[in-house]
Amino acid sequence: MKLSILTEGIFKNNPVMKQVLGLCPTLAVTTSAINGIAMGLATTGVLMGSNVAVALVKNIIPAKVRIPAYVVIIATFVTLIDLSMNAYFHDLHKILGLFIPLIVVNCIVLGRAESFASKNGVFDSLLDGIGSGMGFTLTLFVLGSIREVLGNGSWFGLDLFGVHFSPAILMILPPGAFIVLGFMMAFNNFVEERRRISRGGAQ
Amino acid sequence: MNNSLKMVVVLTVISALAALLLAGVYGATKQKIADAERQDFLKGLTTVLPGFDNEPDRETMTVDGNTLYIGKKGGKIFGYAVESVSAKGYSGNIKILVGAGVDGKVLGIEVISHAETPGLGNKIQDKSWRDSFIGKTAESNITVKKDGGEIDSFSGATISPRAVCEAVRNALAIIGKAGGAK
Repeated sequence: MKLSILTEGIFKNNPVMKQVLGLCPTLAVTTSAINGIAMGLATTGVLMGSNVAVALVKNIIPAKVRIPAYVVIIATFVTLIDLSMNAYFHDLHKILGLFIPLIVVNCIVLGRAESFASKNGVFDSLLDGIGSGMGFTLTLFVLGSIREVLGNGSWFGLDLFGVHFSPAILMILPPGAFIVLGFMMAFNNFVEERRRISRGGAQ
Repeated sequence: MNNSLKMVVVLTVISALAALLLAGVYGATKQKIADAERQDFLKGLTTVLPGFDNEPDRETMTVDGNTLYIGKKGGKIFGYAVESVSAKGYSGNIKILVGAGVDGKVLGIEVISHAETPGLGNKIQDKSWRDSFIGKTAESNITVKKDGGEIDSFSGATISPRAVCEAVRNALAIIGKAGGAK
């Protein structure tokens, strides 16, 4: 049964595709596949840390001050990741540096703390953090890949089509993020609808 | 009353723990971050002052309020590097580092920071494009070809290269003054 907590965040309850949370980093950093993965993993790290911490202290925090307490916990983890990334992955930090502090206000993190970790045990909360983080990472990776391939003709920085390919620059620009995400959600809904019908569910 | 006291205590304890943890990690990573930043800057200086054997980031001079980094080879000054900013980027300032020899020829340029569009304007970071400035002097026509100059721009992105050209011209003017002052 535990495994369902993990897969829930990746597919059934995907933070971006289903809950439509955390759109700011989703749309802003996904100009390439590697940026998407890095942002996703950083957010996963924060989610795991904040979910575990919130699950640990949930019983001693008075209900009225739980939100400020969660925000302090989340901001602490974000700053920890920001500092360690700057120290140990300096080049990556130069690309993502602007977006890391924004994880604090990523509603996925506060959303999971409030709706899951504050009601469940430490281990389940850790699984939920990993699941939601992986779902977020997967979405950002796919979105970043599509935009990089269409908009820059490359994948993970590797040139795919040679010099004669003229990339659709729009896909790298902000509108491209909205367009691709829209198609991804439509495709996701289409697949789920088909699956529901083939299982014999009524329309 | 008892309840509000509990709120205050809990929040204070959580914040204090957070502050303690952050102070520890900050102290532990501070030196590493400073080192990484200095390495970054030295790497940039290697591009714009190839072959220096001193520490240009510690041997500087000031011209008109700009800091010039002095490149020496075997104790002899062979070039200067200076940071230059153009506010005419597509989105925000473009900060570059320009190195020029004592003969006034550009030895290399490096982009330090910018917020240009990924996939378009950020091609100003490409080495092959940056290298097209090498050998140019203050007398060269350092503008993009669209403006009748000698520098290529990218299809779909002229503003960013134009801004870099402006920054290079400013940098050469400053370095030129340093040569004259000597």
